[in-house]
Amino acid sequence: MFCSKKKSLEVERIVKANDREYNEKFQYTLIPEISSLTWFTTIVPLVLVITMTAVKDATDDYFRHKSDNQVNNRQSEVLIDSKLQNEKWMNVKVGDIIKLENNQFVAADLLLLSSSEPYGLCYIETAELDGETNLKVRHALSVTSELGADISRLARFDGIVVCEAPNNKLDKFAGVLSWKDSKHPLNNEKIILRGCVLRNTSWCFGMVIFAGPDTKLMQNSGKTKFKRTSIDRLMNTLVLWIFGFLVCLGIVLAIGNSVWENQVGDQFRTFLFWNEGEKNFVFSGFLTFWSYIIILNTVVPISLYVSVEVIRLGHSYFINWDRKMYCSGNATPAEARTTTLNEELGQIEYIFSDKTGTLTQNIMTFKRCSINGRIYGEVHDDLDQETEITKKKEPVAVSVKSEVDRTFQFFDHHLMESIKLGDPKVHEFLRILALCHTVMSEENSSGQLIYQVQSPDEGALVTAARNLGFIFKSRTPQTITIEELGTIVTYQLLAFLDFNNIRKRMSVIVRNPEGQIKLYCKGADTILFEKLHPSNGDLLSLTSDHLSEFAGEGLRTLAITYRDLDDKYFREWHKMLEDANTATDKRDEWIAGLYEEIEKDLMLLGATAVEDKLQEGVIETITSLSLANIKIWVLTGDKQETAINIGYACNMLTDDMNEVFVIAGNTAVEVREELRKAKEILFGQNRSFSNGHVGCEKKQQLELDLVVEETVTGDYALIINGHSLAHALESDVKNDLLELACMCKTVVCCRVTPLQKAQVVELVKKHRNAVTLAIGDGANDVSMIKSAHIGVGISGQEGLQAVLASDYSFAQFRYLQRLLLVHGRWSYFRMCKFLCYFFYKNFAFTLVHFWFGFFCGFSAQTVYDQWFITLFNIVYTSLPVLAMGIFDQDVSDQNSIDCPQLYEPGQLNLLFNKHKFFICMLHGIYTSLALFFIPYGTFYNAAGEDGQHIADYQSFAVTMATSLVIVVSVQIALDTSYWTVINHVFIWGSLATYFSILFTMHSNGIFGIFPNQFPFVGSARHCLTQKCIWLVILLTTVASVMPVVAFRFLKVDLYPTLTDQIRRWQKAQKKSRPPSSRRPRARRSSSRRSGYAFAHQEGYGELITSGKNMRAKNPPPTSGLEKTLYNSTSWIENLCKKTTDTVNSFSQDKTVNL
Amino acid sequence: MEHHLSRLPDNTALRQQELLADWLHFSAKEVLFIFFATGVFCLCMGIILLLSAKSTREMEINYTKICANCAKVQENVFNFDKECTCSNPFSLTKKMKGNVYMYYKLHGFCQNLYRYIYSRSNRQLVGKDVKAVEGCAPFKMSHNETPIVPCGAIDNSIFNDTIILSYNVNSSLQIKVPMLKTGLTWWTDEYVKFQNPNTDNLFFSFYFIILWGYKYSYELDKKGSKKQCFLNDDFIAWIWTAAIPTFKKPYQHLNRTRHFTEGLPAGNYSFSITYNFLVTRFHRKKSVILCLSYTVTGAMTWLATFSMLAVHMGLKNKKSLHPFHQHWLKIPLLSQLWFGK
Repeated sequence: MFCSKKKSLEVERIVKANDREYNEKFQYTLIPEISSLTWFTTIVPLVLVITMTAVKDATDDYFRHKSDNQVNNRQSEVLIDSKLQNEKWMNVKVGDIIKLENNQFVAADLLLLSSSEPYGLCYIETAELDGETNLKVRHALSVTSELGADISRLARFDGIVVCEAPNNKLDKFAGVLSWKDSKHPLNNEKIILRGCVLRNTSWCFGMVIFAGPDTKLMQNSGKTKFKRTSIDRLMNTLVLWIFGFLVCLGIVLAIGNSVWENQVGDQFRTFLFWNEGEKNFVFSGFLTFWSYIIILNTVVPISLYVSVEVIRLGHSYFINWDRKMYCSGNATPAEARTTTLNEELGQIEYIFSDKTGTLTQNIMTFKRCSINGRIYGEVHDDLDQETEITKKKEPVAVSVKSEVDRTFQFFDHHLMESIKLGDPKVHEFLRILALCHTVMSEENSSGQLIYQVQSPDEGALVTAARNLGFIFKSRTPQTITIEELGTIVTYQLLAFLDFNNIRKRMSVIVRNPEGQIKLYCKGADTILFEKLHPSNGDLLSLTSDHLSEFAGEGLRTLAITYRDLDDKYFREWHKMLEDANTATDKRDEWIAGLYEEIEKDLMLLGATAVEDKLQEGVIETITSLSLANIKIWVLTGDKQETAINIGYACNMLTDDMNEVFVIAGNTAVEVREELRKAKEILFGQNRSFSNGHVGCEKKQQLELDLVVEETVTGDYALIINGHSLAHALESDVKNDLLELACMCKTVVCCRVTPLQKAQVVELVKKHRNAVTLAIGDGANDVSMIKSAHIGVGISGQEGLQAVLASDYSFAQFRYLQRLLLVHGRWSYFRMCKFLCYFFYKNFAFTLVHFWFGFFCGFSAQTVYDQWFITLFNIVYTSLPVLAMGIFDQDVSDQNSIDCPQLYEPGQLNLLFNKHKFFICMLHGIYTSLALFFIPYGTFYNAAGEDGQHIADYQSFAVTMATSLVIVVSVQIALDTSYWTVINHVFIWGSLATYFSILFTMHSNGIFGIFPNQFPFVGSARHCLTQKCIWLVILLTTVASVMPVVAFRFLKVDLYPTLTDQIRRWQKAQKKSRPPSSRRPRARRSSSRRSGYAFAHQEGYGELITSGKNMRAKNPPPTSGLEKTLYNSTSWIENLCKKTTDTVNSFSQDKTVNL
Repeated sequence: MEHHLSRLPDNTALRQQELLADWLHFSAKEVLFIFFATGVFCLCMGIILLLSAKSTREMEINYTKICANCAKVQENVFNFDKECTCSNPFSLTKKMKGNVYMYYKLHGFCQNLYRYIYSRSNRQLVGKDVKAVEGCAPFKMSHNETPIVPCGAIDNSIFNDTIILSYNVNSSLQIKVPMLKTGLTWWTDEYVKFQNPNTDNLFFSFYFIILWGYKYSYELDKKGSKKQCFLNDDFIAWIWTAAIPTFKKPYQHLNRTRHFTEGLPAGNYSFSITYNFLVTRFHRKKSVILCLSYTVTGAMTWLATFSMLAVHMGLKNKKSLHPFHQHWLKIPLLSQLWFGK
């Protein structure tokens, strides 16, 4: 499914790039008059280039294919011929019935038929799709859920589904199932999408509706585009320019030839006896033009493309081999899946990051709590305590060993003591944690308690209570059984006041065995503090301080409160609730009012702090990347509160920020207004800004941006909601949004759909002209990974989709630092150096022919031996520059990480651009002048030391060739800043190779065999024994290299770049070898409270109290209370309605196509 | 676990990019040293070369105009077989002590034209196959369909003036200065690159066109000599095409016997030239050169000039760098302002 068709594309690219030379190469073989080079001079390098490219592409494809197969060959159980058979994913066809098991990935978009859970319910995790971590419920149609696991009945199932065509809307589905002469409407609640993972459900059966590329996930993943780097594009432009330059040279020389033939050449006809037809000097000029195009074609570097590919391949291997990017946790090394983008890693300006699984681990841990004004779990703040902790690093647990969840780590023994001492407040606190939640419990085969949680935060709290001795055992719709420090206590559940986004709290009303009625409430502190009883004053301020402290550490906080209710009051209230439930209109408001009424005069107990565990090193990475002037945008499908919370946790949002703009408008007008306001604040009132919807010229707008960017001071952050983003991405506000967003230090987009992620990336890519990188782990990030210049996938997790779509993959977000600051920077630096040198070399090599043209009657005579021309680029000079391109380092990896500012030249594209190209070209031209005119001066009127001939053409050619090879080698030696053994071997080896091949080709033996092919017999021997030739070579070298050395030295000395300074420092450091200093850990400084930033979903309360999700083995005792409280058929509609609401709100996807 | 271990990249220096290496980064000191060393070296070389160039003596006589009447005679097509000799008297004020070489020099004669340079057959010249004339157009076959030996434009445009140097011992006695034609070619020329064709066939058709006449190749030297055919030094010197349009080629060198054991004594000399090579037809000049010892005059002068230049540059850089270097460091701010960085 991911199978690439890239082969043809890539090959095409190469062929195209070499097209021009290619064509000409054939022309001259057809017209012998204009051949001035033998066929091998160009064919040999060309064949070599094409072969190497082909081999590289083939291996690339092979490996890509291999990893694609990994996904396509995943097994799933398919019902074939009334039997369950294992089948590869790629062979799953529409209409198949497949069986899924717990924790399995869904292979295709399925219509849920039946499941192991009662009422055909099943739970799925959609983190891959939208980044939300809570579980979602799907339920089968009652008619199909009866099928159960009966294979024979399932095999006989012959329903017909009529539904919408494949599309990319993740939250909508419409269809009809016709079965047994009746029709059943289908909606999104009955569909399980590919990319989801089955949770808490031991099995389920589903019928495939969309498979392969038709699945909603794949429809969302956008088109696979062929990515090229900006250097690639620049290179192609330059090759075009060079080609133009070549034509110009050809024209100049052709005109020269015509003039020469007209003025001078005529006189030489006596001994050339030209045919009458050829006496036409215009025609002669024409032939000369083509001859020179062929001779000078080496200025268009054929081997450039293949060398670039080889270098990139080398860099990719370095990424694969880097142990510092290897995650031992899940044994995943970093992987460069694309080998053509490396240098772009050194030019990133914007990073778009997913949240769940990328920045966070998607693991919640109960970190700290404040109970009755006392903080527990204080570990990291105090030095003494820290040492104490390290001494006895045994997690605290009161519960019996078997009940302890191993993953739980809580280190404060004071809490233990308090529990043992029987502090009632502490007990009450833990009781609330054990009672007030929506967790379901279950015993596995070995008798261990397993919690099925719909939100990981709740899981963390209940687990904490469990480990601290308050074990939630089981529940029925009317009771909750917990074990309090060894004694089993059953509470009667009287009411369940569910969570929703507005309330930001949930409560349970229970009657304890003593008969007291208690309301236990947990929720967002901001909300609950307003509902406290006035007597809580002191505790409130104390707890408030604690909460600030927790928030400062980026923890998610919840306030814990209770209220004692008296029997009579509750009965009255309960009566009203019953009435409200039976009411037909305004039922919801009524109920909300009742909830509001009873949740007041609460007594504060304390607060909890749960850590949404960040991936390792996220803060350091983000800090360091920001220092490198890379802007990081978080794009997540998760809720605004969660996203903001993570923003604070990773230091992207801080209290020091001047302003955090939140754009959450629901209509285009609102969004526009919010954007306008934000801009007003940003730019100050004195500047009025156009709303942008007037057709303001873009150029002006851009200029404006530039001005503005300088004037805005201070840190700002922008938080934008998915539904607002849909409006903001409309053409007229787009510019405003972009302008605002780019001015802000941090941008967080929450509740965005996969496609919106891609749109945001596209927006920046297109209008900012910046290099973008997208990083994510789930299937919902695929589209953004594909549309960014560089896509990075977090590997080592279950989902592979993101990795497969990505260009680079590794296991942890923190490796991004090394990937960009070390590998990317080096790649860019090396590539630029390589290109500079390569162009320089080709100009120096080729332009000598041009100068010679003026002295040989423009007759297209080459300066060098043909063999030399053939071998120069591919044998004599290719390896040293390749070694530099692969191994060179300007500063060490540690220094590149320690000094992120070194990254900036790449972003500004300073190391190789058109300007640099011209400098290289001038350098090459200068060298070619020195190379030609110094020997020319020498050979002018010269004779050998012993009266023998020396000024002949062949000696001239040998002198020039030797000078060239030496000059070019000295130049590469100077350019190479990191001399490894390999560089030594290649540079010295190239020189040795040159001389040995030279002497071989000028040897007697080879002349004896092919006298016409190797006419240079003896030239090298005689030439290179003459002292003056060596003087010429020496002088040429000095003359062409010294000015460059002088220039570079002066530049480094007078205007040292940061790199130069670091290098100087590095050199000094190497001598003295001090211990490398580490940068201090970045500290968070935020005191912001979290809202109810829980990945919580409304509707579970009803599910629990209805008992529908409980196993049949402990059937809920029907009580009057339940019946009267809840309409037993309504719960599922309610649940669905509410789920759909929340989903709807985040995926108002306005534009479908990118 | 083994699987896990196998995925961990090898900890080799190459793979971790930690190969032992030297950072090439020049400090001010090093650059100055390099400049100084190069400067000193070039200076020394320059002085040596300049001195040696000064000590060399060269004497060039352009005989294009002096022998203009011969040229006129020869240019007349009907006189192609007439010999014309002209004489160029000259005097040496100082004796030329040492080995004296005689060169002929052509001005602006493009021996490096593409069509010209490849109009020859190495296979033929190596004596293997006289019929190998593929690349020799337009001098491939003679009118009676026999191959031209040697073929090709180079071979058939050989410089064919005969230059004889005479010394006036006194006003009445003029003796021919003994000159040798040996040792003007490379070892490879004589033993590898050029071989006479099989002598059995030598006499039946081997002739070649020398510009405006023709000559049998065995006429290049005395009968029976090894140098009759391709191994002839004049021939070889000519066939080594010159790299640039103005060139000189070795012609003869002094046989240091009798009067001339020390070289050429001062006095009156004359060149007697049998005029065959018609440079006037293409408006070029030719001259004859007498030169002392190993004369790479042109080369030496050039090299010397360049060396001096290099030295000059090196010194200048050194001068400007040293004090300025300190200076700049002290006021980097100023420098930044100055260049508006």
